[in-house]
Amino acid sequence: MKNLWHIAHDLWQAAPAFRLALLYLALLTAVALALPWLPLAYGPNELDLEQIYQAPFEWGADAGKARHWLGTDGLGRDVLANTLYGARTAFAISLPVMAIASLIGLTLGAMAGLYGNRRLQMGRALLAALLFGLIPIAYYGIYLPALLSSQGATYADFILTSIVAVLVSLVLVFVLTTLFRRLPLLNKKTFFPTDELLLRLIEVQTSIPRLVLILVLAAIVPPTLPALSVLLVLTFWTGTARLVRAEMLRIRELPFFEAATSLGFTQRRLLVRHALPHLLGPVLVAFSFGLAGLLMLESTLSFLNIGVSTDLVSWGRMIAGIRTNTAAWWLVVIPGALLSLTVLALQTCSYYVLRSLQNKK
Amino acid sequence: MASFVFRRLLLAIPTLWFIASAIFLLSKLMPGAFGSAYLAQQEAGYFSRSDAASREHSYRQFLKTTGQDLPLFYFSITSAALPDTLHRVFPERDRAFLAKLSWQYGDPDAATRFFRSTKTLEASLSETERLQVQEQLYTIYSHKDAAELEQATAGIADQLSTTKLLESHFLESSAQLLASSPGYTYLFPSVQWHGSQNQYHRWLSGLLKGSLGTSLRDGRPVATVLGEAIGNTWWLLLVSVLLATLLAMELAILMVRRSGRIWRSTLLPSLFLLDSIPLFVLAMLLLVLLASPAFLQLFPVYGMGYYSAYDQNWLEQLGQWLQFMALPMICLVLANLPYLTNQFYQAVVAVAGQDYIRTARAKGLSEHRVIRGHMLRNALLPVITLLSDFLPALVAGAVIIETIFAIPGVGRLLIDAVLARDYPIIVGIVVIVAVFRLLSHLVSDLLYALADPRIRTHAT
Repeated sequence: MKNLWHIAHDLWQAAPAFRLALLYLALLTAVALALPWLPLAYGPNELDLEQIYQAPFEWGADAGKARHWLGTDGLGRDVLANTLYGARTAFAISLPVMAIASLIGLTLGAMAGLYGNRRLQMGRALLAALLFGLIPIAYYGIYLPALLSSQGATYADFILTSIVAVLVSLVLVFVLTTLFRRLPLLNKKTFFPTDELLLRLIEVQTSIPRLVLILVLAAIVPPTLPALSVLLVLTFWTGTARLVRAEMLRIRELPFFEAATSLGFTQRRLLVRHALPHLLGPVLVAFSFGLAGLLMLESTLSFLNIGVSTDLVSWGRMIAGIRTNTAAWWLVVIPGALLSLTVLALQTCSYYVLRSLQNKK
Repeated sequence: MASFVFRRLLLAIPTLWFIASAIFLLSKLMPGAFGSAYLAQQEAGYFSRSDAASREHSYRQFLKTTGQDLPLFYFSITSAALPDTLHRVFPERDRAFLAKLSWQYGDPDAATRFFRSTKTLEASLSETERLQVQEQLYTIYSHKDAAELEQATAGIADQLSTTKLLESHFLESSAQLLASSPGYTYLFPSVQWHGSQNQYHRWLSGLLKGSLGTSLRDGRPVATVLGEAIGNTWWLLLVSVLLATLLAMELAILMVRRSGRIWRSTLLPSLFLLDSIPLFVLAMLLLVLLASPAFLQLFPVYGMGYYSAYDQNWLEQLGQWLQFMALPMICLVLANLPYLTNQFYQAVVAVAGQDYIRTARAKGLSEHRVIRGHMLRNALLPVITLLSDFLPALVAGAVIIETIFAIPGVGRLLIDAVLARDYPIIVGIVVIVAVFRLLSHLVSDLLYALADPRIRTHAT
């Protein structure tokens, strides 16, 4: 953590581009947070049908009304308000999604890198029993709650099913383990292929391009924001996981880590105290690169009008407005410039951090 | 070499099977089969003479021909509180009603009996009788607690003749339903075995025979629909990849020259800038600037030009095709240029420091010959694998570009299919894309092995 702070400090003094990018991001965040208190004349979804397709800087002399500083779109919605609120939406979606995706990627990648294919040992009987234990978990933990919520059940039912889920699967695993131990085939130790499993999972997921996967899944789930966020998390964790796994494999061979291992520390302590501080830098870089990608993807999806509802204020929706009137250049230029600048700032930041991390090695 | 290829293909099959199955099963879990919206139109239009019954009949026919009335998988695990025959109940509205009944009263058998008797009763009613009990029927379909149901059945019993009620066993089944009480039956699972008569089996065996099913929208085979669309996408991708690769290579050569400092200091930042503009913004910008009457109208805006004369020779046809494809291709090339150029540049710079380059220079070879003759061949080697990794971005780009410029290709087909929930088309496209990706991996491996003898001996 301290290390990262030093890097940021050094970069702030050495690289003007980094300083500029960071300042821009801070300003954008501040504006997006303070938006409800800013004196904007129009709301983002407010229609002004008397002044449609008004170009910016050519304000009509309508005395009674406030000006549309940056013009309006085909339904008279104010471009300025939409652009600012669009920034708010973009960050409100992509920040939590990327945070959760990074967390998942960090956990899975670190596990895979630490345990590899032949470090986590467990009995075959237990492994087989755990696989069977997934069935009651799926039934009581996923299927029944989904059914309950569709039939409008009370909280008591949900609590009951989760208790049953835990109890039944525990009992099943326990009984099956003792049973399986009697079989000669299963009464042996085996290695749990953590690394292999993660790599296969990533391979399966990345064999379909991300946009196509999201488009396909968006046809299946209802177009709501939580559903879209889950989809994005499910497709964005792979990048971080891959990076963390590679980094963990490198750290595992370093002298200080071997020393810690030979001192007999627990795996947990090894992971949290010794490996995690070294993983934070790469994860941060992956986070901001991923955030830039997410911003682009989110606006692309809302441009295509897939996976989001039409009343969601976003940059993509405003840019889509130009398809009905190609003369309205400001509908592309203003939100497009803001989107590109934000992506540029994020990429600049991560580029500099990445470079100084590499120089340190 | 052959065994290497064979092993790769064999490993690819499980991945492909897993993805296609997952998408297929997921798409079927979504409530609301294709066409149920058509059934939901209660009001018969002025011109259409179809009433609710005939619509329902044709809907059932549609489900039967497309195999959608079969169970989904070989077996199913449902809650014991739901009737076993639930998957056979159509349309979705009735299914949800039966599920609700059975859930509410905790007795699937009584719920099924009551449901059937209500349906028989409803079918036997004449127009006037229907009007009489309309309110009660509505209550039955939307009731919240048992008291409401009791009241509604009593109301129906008052209004209608007893023969009809007796014929449909309406009253006794409702009494039976009301007598049962919800317990914890829902905690018990009920497992059913459906055998090979299920949708997944049908789909998978069709897939193995090479058939991808038929489109739900127009009933044409998915392979035909895809075949019509794939040509445009293929040429769009191929030409733009070739252009982008050539351009990126030339740019990298410009930058790596000793006199290329000015290129380095201008090109690299501008490529970085270009990289941060999303593809759809870039495409819309170019569309506004170069194809709209408000600015410069150099290119036609949308589509592929449908008014082509038949007497054109191939040169004119190509000219027209290029006219429409130029702007989309420029967009794809520009969008992919930063990444490619950067990779090429890195590769060339890595080679430029090698000893044999110094030797070549020391021999007095011209800069041109050093770069083209000695550097490029070695630098290109790592780039070969890159081209296959690059495919996802290309496919995603094609989806966006085809949508914006209204090119009838696979990408636009995907968007249309997603908006219409035409699952056979979606699954077909996923299979095609995954196969394409696997093949490109294979081809790049082969090329790599061909280009580098060390790998060839290592692999076999």
